[in-house]
Amino acid sequence: MRLAAAAVALAMAVTACAPSTTTRADQGKITLSVWGWGPEANYDKMFAEYEKANPGVDVDARSFTTATEYDTILSTGLAGDNGPDLAWLRAGANLQPLVEAGRLLPLDTKDVPGLAGYDEKVLRYAKGDKDGKVYGVPFAVQTLQVIYNKKIFADNGITPPKTYDEMIASAGKLKAKGVIPFAFGGKDDWMLPIVASIFGTAHWGGDEFIAAVKAKQKKFTDPRFVEGIDQLNKLKPYFPENAAGVSYTDAQILFSSGKAAMFPGGLWELNFFTENAKDVELGVFTPPVPEGQGLMPGFTDGSYGVNVKTKHKAEALKFAAWLASKDYGQLYTDTLRIFSAVPGVTPKDPLLGEVATTFDQHGATYFMNEFAYGNPSSAAVFSKALQEMLLGRITAKQAAEQLDKSVSTWL
Amino acid sequence: MALGARRGQGGNGSSYLFLIPALLLYSAFVVYPLFTGLTYSFFSWKGTLRDSFAGLDNYAGLLSGAFLDQLLPALGHNALLFAGTMLVQNTLGLAFALALSRVRRGKRALQTMFALPYLVNPLVIGYLWTLLLSPAFGPVNALLKPLGLAMPWLGDPDTALPTVIVITTWQWVGFPMLLFSAALGGIPQEYAEAARTDGAGSWQVLWRITLPLLKPAMATVTILSFIGSMGTFALVYALGGSNGAPAGATDVLGLLFYRTAFASGDVNALGTSSALAVFMFTFIFGSTLLLERVLRRKT
Repeated sequence: MRLAAAAVALAMAVTACAPSTTTRADQGKITLSVWGWGPEANYDKMFAEYEKANPGVDVDARSFTTATEYDTILSTGLAGDNGPDLAWLRAGANLQPLVEAGRLLPLDTKDVPGLAGYDEKVLRYAKGDKDGKVYGVPFAVQTLQVIYNKKIFADNGITPPKTYDEMIASAGKLKAKGVIPFAFGGKDDWMLPIVASIFGTAHWGGDEFIAAVKAKQKKFTDPRFVEGIDQLNKLKPYFPENAAGVSYTDAQILFSSGKAAMFPGGLWELNFFTENAKDVELGVFTPPVPEGQGLMPGFTDGSYGVNVKTKHKAEALKFAAWLASKDYGQLYTDTLRIFSAVPGVTPKDPLLGEVATTFDQHGATYFMNEFAYGNPSSAAVFSKALQEMLLGRITAKQAAEQLDKSVSTWL
Repeated sequence: MALGARRGQGGNGSSYLFLIPALLLYSAFVVYPLFTGLTYSFFSWKGTLRDSFAGLDNYAGLLSGAFLDQLLPALGHNALLFAGTMLVQNTLGLAFALALSRVRRGKRALQTMFALPYLVNPLVIGYLWTLLLSPAFGPVNALLKPLGLAMPWLGDPDTALPTVIVITTWQWVGFPMLLFSAALGGIPQEYAEAARTDGAGSWQVLWRITLPLLKPAMATVTILSFIGSMGTFALVYALGGSNGAPAGATDVLGLLFYRTAFASGDVNALGTSSALAVFMFTFIFGSTLLLERVLRRKT
């Protein structure tokens, strides 16, 4: 029986279940199916706008889990005949298996004019690494920063820090009052490079350093990078006790319940905190470094791609063109409270507007997504190394060496 | 004996006919996927598109430095889980079975209570225990704090794997207990009575009569524990995520396979993970055969 279970586990790798048909035509209407990982209701609402302007088309949004299972569902769907017409694609490294398998339609500015306006920094996450073609319309840009509880700050006479020393002093003040300064948990190791980049990107010099590493002029063992990730060690006194054992959800609850004053994380947390801590007034800041202004890392979060086998190619491309338009971008930002990747969109939400201004002036590339290649992926190797560092088992230098070693296997 | 005789008499072809439905299902859902998995491992892949014949390249990939650095610790953790299961879970299971064999009233109820946790999905168990053991909110640490024993049980690499063993034991202890109880029930009372008449104390009865007669049951429990420990996935996934947090201290073969196949984002993920799956299957199957031989010979 257990042998059978092992065999089934093995079979999982090769025969994932095929999803049911989603393309159907009723009363001469064309249905475009769109697969993704976000809440369906939000997308139904947004796509209804498109349906209004294009009466012959019915857009059917289908949402799956946000977890890694989505990748399996999508690659199986696209491999068979019952896949969607359009689908959300992961950004960067995780997009490549679909590109290499030839499952996606390359997009050009002739069909999707909006692509011409995109910043190359954003667009390259939707490109095939080998052929350089665009395979998706990027939909979101996520930024990484510190989210803080305005009331706790006000109660303790603290304002968002302008200098590094001020940040440390404020954290100390909060800790003395029994408030956890930073709600951060390192048990879910994907959070570690995110938090390391929030506090460290300015230390290693942002995009310039990333470019130098890619050009093999610099290595991750560079003292500036080591100093950057060492911030996690320096700030350890201001994290929850045994931070390496605190899970991501624990950290979220510490912040939303008011036990912690700040939460270093992605902008997508705003939605969670707004839902779960309605009375908490939120603010954001980018942590300063000893040299002065900090950098706000960000990354393209995904894109809409077109199935190469779609039976409604013209309609799918027309829809993709709308997804690249400012109309959709504005709708997206205002509905979801997430930055649209479409250029020139100004968010109505004041907090989002504030972040947009900072990102324009002091934005940087989130380093880990640039180095998520290899098997095991360098991102997984480094996440684990940072966890060991947080546990005090290795030094920042050793963690950087592990990343360097992993990157050298594929760069 | 009677059964064997009957089987001998009725041994004609028609009885095999009844095996066909099961055989078909078994072939379709076990043999066929196993075989395709094997063939997949000899090709290189571009996502879900089969590329060129790769020979043993995928297997060589398993032995490459970066991958081997994950494979060996994972295998080691599987082995430690097996050792821990034998030492803690099965010893306790035996103790419970022996204790229950003396209980006259409420034996059934107690047996059911001990066996209940293994009816619950390991993912649920894992989730429950992460809540119980959470260093920020968990009641376990809240109780232990006055004693100075509060620890990030699942957050410290030194305590994480032992904690997994304890939770596995909590869930599965009823299983060896039931097997041992059944085996104990099969030992005729007369043996022990005869030994007592000859002047044996209860320890002597246990060591010289009961335990030797339990050897076949012990062999079964050992083999099932081995297969269970080697194939474990759901509980460790729920407790430490797909990377075997903290710092890979609870990483096992099942998690490594999951990461390689579904979460690596590698273009050739299907090739590497198929090779890993074949390796796991061969290793578990081979070791089980070997273990069975050794254990059965002794009994």
